[in-house]
Amino acid sequence: MSAINFLFAGFAVFWAGLFTYLIVLQLRIRTLRTEIEQIENDQESDDT
Amino acid sequence: MNLNTLYNLRWTVLPPVVGVAITVMAGLALVSAPTEVVEGDVQRLLYVHLPSALASYLSFGITAVCSALFLITRDFKWDAGAQAAALVGLIFTALTLITGALWGRPIWGVYWQWDPRITTTLILFLIFAAYLVARKSSELDNERIARFCSVYAIIGFLDVPLIHMSVRWWRTLHPQPIVSRLDPALPTEMLLVTLFSVTAVLLVAVWFIVLGVEIELLSQRLLKIKGRVR
Repeated sequence: MSAINFLFAGFAVFWAGLFTYLIVLQLRIRTLRTEIEQIENDQESDDT
Repeated sequence: MNLNTLYNLRWTVLPPVVGVAITVMAGLALVSAPTEVVEGDVQRLLYVHLPSALASYLSFGITAVCSALFLITRDFKWDAGAQAAALVGLIFTALTLITGALWGRPIWGVYWQWDPRITTTLILFLIFAAYLVARKSSELDNERIARFCSVYAIIGFLDVPLIHMSVRWWRTLHPQPIVSRLDPALPTEMLLVTLFSVTAVLLVAVWFIVLGVEIELLSQRLLKIKGRVR
């Protein structure tokens, strides 16, 4: 592998790492919000 | 700017600022920065390798500070900050090790050397990987595991100054400090790109930590709600 390939591999790993983690964060936040909303809605309907 | 303001900017100001900064950084690093005479284009890995390392130091520093604040106040919002920053630190440490290996292969001829700086960085990775595993898998009650891990994180952070000083204290393949000194050893253009890259990646790290805090706070809230339902 030539030196330029190592350069692109390094940048690819860096960008892929950041994007993957960002997606993981967003999915986790969405899942938690949905779960909290569901439980709170269930509680409200139980109360009424 | 206080911490609450920063937290409130996580979905409004921070995404575009981080997006623009990181895109400009890529352009500067791959196109604008001059080619290094000895190493050639592969030296451009400096612009992701060094910022990743500094982002990991910042993240673990935040973990240590939040851990200390948790021990003093027993407020779980600090514990949330410590956990979020530890995970971000771990990711940037992994990126530092991987980009370093990819830079080392064409320059040193090997992906890995048991060089003092690389070894102490690997130890840092393992220390905080153990921290996160302990957080997620412990059967101790929440208060006790948070206290135990806070002390552990503060002690674990002591590896960061060790990494920084490793190039001065031991013989190593890494160069002596080239940026963090009064007369930086880099040409001005390279220095400016390096400083911009560091700023951009630190912004990414801060944004990720803030999003991680949101996850930890939502998790704490969910646990409380589930506790009430039972």
